[in-house]
Amino acid sequence: MPSATPRLFQNGRIASADSKELLAADVLVDETGTIVAVAPGLSAPAGAEVIDCGGSVLVPGMFDVHVHAREPGQEHKETLATCSAAALRGGVTGVVLMPDTSPPVDTGNLVKSARDLIAELSAIPMFQSGCLTKGREGKEMAGFSGMASRGVPMLTDADRAVPCPDLLRRCMEYACDFDLLVTSHCDTPALTKAGAINEGRVSYRFGLPGIPAISQEIAIDRDIRVAQHTGAKLHLQQISTARGLKSVQCAKEAGTSVTCEVSPHHLVLSEQDIRDYNTHFKFNPPLRPAADVEALVAGFIDGSIDVLACDHAPHTEFEKSSEFGSAPFGAAGLETTVPLMFDRFISKGVFGWDLLIERYSAAPRRLVGLAPVAIIEGAKAEFFVFDPEGETPVTRETMKTKSPVSPFLGETLAGNVRGTVLGTAWYPQGK
Amino acid sequence: MRDLKPRKDLLDIEGLELPEIEYVLSNAVPFKQLFQRSVKKVPTLRGKTVLNLFYEPSTRTSSSFEVAANRMSADVTNFTVSSSSVVKGESLLDTIETLQAMRSDYIVIRHQAAGVPNIVAQHTGASVINAGDGYHAHPTQALLDAMTFREVYPDYQGRKMVIVGDVLHSRVARSTSTLFHKLGIEVGVLGPGTLIPPGRHEFIRRFRSWDEVFDWKPDAVYLLRVQLERQEGMFFPSIAEYHKMYGMNTERLVRMRQIGAYLMHPGPVNRGVEITDEAMRYERSLISTQVENGIAVRMAVLHWLKPETDTD
Repeated sequence: MPSATPRLFQNGRIASADSKELLAADVLVDETGTIVAVAPGLSAPAGAEVIDCGGSVLVPGMFDVHVHAREPGQEHKETLATCSAAALRGGVTGVVLMPDTSPPVDTGNLVKSARDLIAELSAIPMFQSGCLTKGREGKEMAGFSGMASRGVPMLTDADRAVPCPDLLRRCMEYACDFDLLVTSHCDTPALTKAGAINEGRVSYRFGLPGIPAISQEIAIDRDIRVAQHTGAKLHLQQISTARGLKSVQCAKEAGTSVTCEVSPHHLVLSEQDIRDYNTHFKFNPPLRPAADVEALVAGFIDGSIDVLACDHAPHTEFEKSSEFGSAPFGAAGLETTVPLMFDRFISKGVFGWDLLIERYSAAPRRLVGLAPVAIIEGAKAEFFVFDPEGETPVTRETMKTKSPVSPFLGETLAGNVRGTVLGTAWYPQGK
Repeated sequence: MRDLKPRKDLLDIEGLELPEIEYVLSNAVPFKQLFQRSVKKVPTLRGKTVLNLFYEPSTRTSSSFEVAANRMSADVTNFTVSSSSVVKGESLLDTIETLQAMRSDYIVIRHQAAGVPNIVAQHTGASVINAGDGYHAHPTQALLDAMTFREVYPDYQGRKMVIVGDVLHSRVARSTSTLFHKLGIEVGVLGPGTLIPPGRHEFIRRFRSWDEVFDWKPDAVYLLRVQLERQEGMFFPSIAEYHKMYGMNTERLVRMRQIGAYLMHPGPVNRGVEITDEAMRYERSLISTQVENGIAVRMAVLHWLKPETDTD
């Protein structure tokens, strides 16, 4: 709902990546969507819409580098429109789209076509990534130069590793020519096989085929080593074990150009939380033992983990209602990540808004070559209003995604995104 | 009778409480005595319907449930889904809807995917009895094993049983070891490292050879069926090598006799793989007793569970 009305956000407390303190101030956004004043006690210009934030936290818009929007090709799961609505609900104002649509985005023309669709259908900036290999099949290199010329932020085979180390090496070597970021889904398919949950006591008890931790850990080690050899910039998706994180830490200490992300569900859930074959807890990489969760939280705080990314992976309730072994991996995450992080960590004093903004707003933007956003005079308005006293019920009815599938369904999370500002647009959200 | 919470479904062993186990096992005894009479039926479930739903071929378990239900005077419908139309995930909900329409009081279900009986149970008022799901659970097998063990060892507590074979892929091993542990019977396992998942059950002792097993002097040896179709050539080099390392052969039978151990097997046996023809004739084999007790235990389970299908 773009408008040419100036807006005054009164009684806010401004959060930033640089400060643990929240700054009490009003924020004035002019009719061009630019922040023109940040100060206490601002008065509203004539014709301005006044939004009383009532002490809510104003937070720079989040940026998620791991989103499956499903369009084109799988619009029954999600569309660009529903995906962007879910993002705005969750205070996310920019995303990187995975290329695993139908068809997979593996040429410059397909990137162009994806960008056209995004421009037409999405309310927020979405950056289309491209495949490393043609059709994500792990057999031949995809058309890097065409995709680079269309501005892909990264190359990835999205949920698939490149199984052949030789092909991965050539992909990394060639990606260097275009200064493209190579993003890995760390997995060893020969070890993962038909695995459904983490291999261990829980998989044994459920009688489900397990995915061993070494499946991801070996892939992390391999990909880091190939990146070191080729000099490619490497980003590792969804680190899920303590041992995998250790590999990343060692590589960073050795000066390797590597970054990694963690998903919110791996920070707050363990394999012990899987009950009654509930497929909403089926993820790849799978939920791990509690000791891994602890290590990930520590790494998230100390910076060994660079980025938070939700792996927004909607599948319909129907698809998720099959038996555990054959249900698809993944769940929706865009609209629950911020309240979840607030509920589990910020509200409990584990870390502050500054850390969350760094990991989920600033660092992910830097990862793909964008400038971080902040609530300062002269900047484009890109923030959301978060009410720490509010609450976010996670229900089928309230979720904005087309596929309300989430391990947090039925929970009421502390805190609520009251609305999101993007330039001239103001998107009020649930109460 | 004791004050037991009414239970709708039997899905696994983990969720059972000792008094419930005791209730089923003790009720199975009079049901078994019934088999000696000329009229083997009781009218307990007259007018009730039992649906036998088998997504995996199993003549034995399916017939055992059928006989048990018949002897309880229930009406039984057998519904076997051929392997060619193996349910895809997508159709599970449709299947449940179909089942609801049949208005069965009891649904006995076997499925190749772990957890399917749990999902069915959540969506129906009928009592769901898990007759084996993937590698997950086979609770009635565990109960019949316990009944069989207790018949030969009324002083069963503190006694010892060793399970031999493919523990990793065995729902029988999972359920039976859990139940025996609950009953205070010590459980050990023997098998190739590839098929014995490490550290999965803290209470299970792992043996690396038959010598170690016989030194432990188990009261029963429980041979698991080698799931030939599940081997994929990844878990041991050959059937011959498995037989040589872990099979029950003449030499091991001598040692069985020396310690007086009983022999158990969930059936059907692969002769020449986990057991030789000679061992099949072992005088302390409980294999056919297990089959007979299966019917008694399943009757006791039908008697115990309380479907939520009555509308009054």
